[in-house]
Amino acid sequence: MSPSGVQALGPGALGESKLNKQKHINYWKRCLKTYLPTAYTSTDSNRMLLAFFVVSALDLLGALLEHTKPEEREGYIDWIYRCQHPEGGFRGFPGTDFGDERNAENKMWDPANVPATYMALSALLILGDDLSRVKRRECLQWLRKLQRDTGSFGETLGENDNIEGGTDSRFGYCAAVVRWILRGAAKGEVEGVPDIDVDKLAECVSSAQTYDGGISESPYHEAHGGFTYCAINILAFIRRLPPHITDIGPGADRGPPGLGDLDSAVRWLVSRQTEILTEEDEPDIDDEDARDEAGSEPPKEEVRDLRGFGIFPEDNQALTRLELLWAGFNGRPNKIADTCYCFWELGALCALHRQHLTDTEACRRYLLDKTQHMVGGFGKVPGDPPDIYHSYLGLAALALLKDPSMKPIVPSACFSQDAARFLESLPWRKEITAGGDSLPQGFQYDLPSKIDERPKEGASDSNYMAMSGG
Amino acid sequence: MPGYGEDPEWSDIVPLPQDDGGPNPLAAIAYSDEYSEAMSYLRAVMAKNEFSERVLRLTEDIIDMNPAHYTVWLYRAKALFTLHKDLRKEFDWLNPFALRHLKNYQIWHHRHTIIEALASDLDEKSPKIDNMIREEQDFLDRMFTKDAKNYHVWSYRQWLVERFNLWDCEEEREAVDDLLRKDVRNNSAWNHRYYVVFGRPNAPKNTTEGHVLMQREINYAEAAIRIAPQNQSPWNYIRGILSHFQQPLSNIKSLASEFASLEKPDEVKSSHALDLLAEIYKEERQLDCAGKAWDLLAQKYDPIRSRYWMWKKEQLGTAAA
Repeated sequence: MSPSGVQALGPGALGESKLNKQKHINYWKRCLKTYLPTAYTSTDSNRMLLAFFVVSALDLLGALLEHTKPEEREGYIDWIYRCQHPEGGFRGFPGTDFGDERNAENKMWDPANVPATYMALSALLILGDDLSRVKRRECLQWLRKLQRDTGSFGETLGENDNIEGGTDSRFGYCAAVVRWILRGAAKGEVEGVPDIDVDKLAECVSSAQTYDGGISESPYHEAHGGFTYCAINILAFIRRLPPHITDIGPGADRGPPGLGDLDSAVRWLVSRQTEILTEEDEPDIDDEDARDEAGSEPPKEEVRDLRGFGIFPEDNQALTRLELLWAGFNGRPNKIADTCYCFWELGALCALHRQHLTDTEACRRYLLDKTQHMVGGFGKVPGDPPDIYHSYLGLAALALLKDPSMKPIVPSACFSQDAARFLESLPWRKEITAGGDSLPQGFQYDLPSKIDERPKEGASDSNYMAMSGG
Repeated sequence: MPGYGEDPEWSDIVPLPQDDGGPNPLAAIAYSDEYSEAMSYLRAVMAKNEFSERVLRLTEDIIDMNPAHYTVWLYRAKALFTLHKDLRKEFDWLNPFALRHLKNYQIWHHRHTIIEALASDLDEKSPKIDNMIREEQDFLDRMFTKDAKNYHVWSYRQWLVERFNLWDCEEEREAVDDLLRKDVRNNSAWNHRYYVVFGRPNAPKNTTEGHVLMQREINYAEAAIRIAPQNQSPWNYIRGILSHFQQPLSNIKSLASEFASLEKPDEVKSSHALDLLAEIYKEERQLDCAGKAWDLLAQKYDPIRSRYWMWKKEQLGTAAA
């Protein structure tokens, strides 16, 4: 029986949940070809992130080549390269570039940015650029300078090459993807540059696992879905996941695994799925009485209305089953569901080969029925207008769920398998990896036959296959 | 307020406009004229490394429009230090700003920089340090009235505890208790309590003394479970404590049994208790009972995770074989 009891409702009880693909394509075309609303000024410094989302969303929808001319794509590529930093890496946005006035005294205000570098390289690959204009050696040298003695990475280099930015796994994750793109799984020096300290990075990730099993910003901080995705996928890229998680694909490197307690991590991740979708759904308990009883004497009457948290009165079972048709993911215990966490939690589970332990259908329906917006894109929670961040992660989550109208995705890299295949086909990259396997630990491309079996969604499939070189 | 272009105070500066790099920029934003102009003045003064009163005002203007700008904050901090400003006054601007921009990380990094600088000028035993810490705690409590689960604020609070050795500070424990009284499901508050008790430099060990503390913390979580049995935070807290002391889960079998029992499968009051019970049965090698508990979770008490519970049950078979 389906865990959500869909069959119990009988056929036709609900409309078919479907991605309004054309609406999404229109939404992203608008983001690509017209100015973003002024409200995005507050994210101006993260323009490279927005750029990646726009380009990659159209790619995942199989619509990038169809809706852009080659000269436009060349223009986008040129813009990204304009953000390349003279000393390696990429800027987050053009706003810090002093142009001809850049000098040794002011360059600290115009640094390259670690997340922007991951996003820029990814967007270039998606646009079909072979990365030949990337200052690879400088970028790898710069990346090493961003790693702290504790293993963590910062965001930028400041005055006197001081490492600026937080110590959380986001920057380590972005650094791990940059390393993967530019060096694959090569050992030792590449372009004369030694590798980052992989052992320290694994240690740093491992130390941030919390008492409840998730992974936090740093030791003893609260576990969080975004940090957990980043941390687990760092381990996939540096091949330090526990070796027994999968018997397919390239195995783990020797070295200490970076996830001390796999079982509790999985438990924490699957526990993030929730049918609490809005603040109104939160259990309405009147703590006033209970509070007075919370001292030494146990209160007599302990259960209130907890239906929303998974306990349902017998006579109300059908209704509750219906509610269970939609279940998203939250980022932390006792928070409401949010579109983006469908990607972060499922993306972490995919790396661990455990995504099938969730109610994937209920998640799919949550995205398609509850946060998909009628103008295209996704909002954060039901009823919210779409924004670029949630719209991208909503699509990426559907790609993790192998939605037939989406291209297959590399869960650890958050972009299409076509883009990864294209990267692997590049001659300079083949030379570095010497024909060896360079994919994230446990990852395998979807079989081509599977792609062929997917329902026909227009001519886009052949387009992207052509782009990736087959 | 006139734009920078019309302001005589800025007449000596030649603005440095943004070069957006060619005809096909990505993620181009419809900047307001005010933002474009302010940014072009910011680039001009940054390029000259000017540190002045007007630069401080300009950074406030930029930060208000684009608080995520990753170098303007560093530039402002350097200007404050270069001009030997009274750093305590920085909070007059920063506090209301933080209350308006709840999701911004840079605010907290900046605050960290300022507090660190203020503290480094004072003797560790100075009463001024105590005052400063009290003011910080008060402000964090105000932030929590806006969002009691704000990740940046909790992270900052943890830094404050470690930096100023607040492990035994009464206010720290009281602040967390207060938030849990308001919302017993506030997982951030639970996590902070765990940090203060178990994250300290001499964390309790597996000694008689340690076990007294273990029991105190289990009792605390138990009281919260009685308020709301289906609240996962205190259940996780207890699991964390037992794991810290390397104790078996069966230590709390009677507590779990109060809220879930296989004898009364229709009266389960907490799916978390039922899961715990299943694991205790597994620990005790009562595999049939463990399987039954997971069946109940899958079919009745936590069906969203039915595949997970069934997988746990399958693992039992593997373990038994």
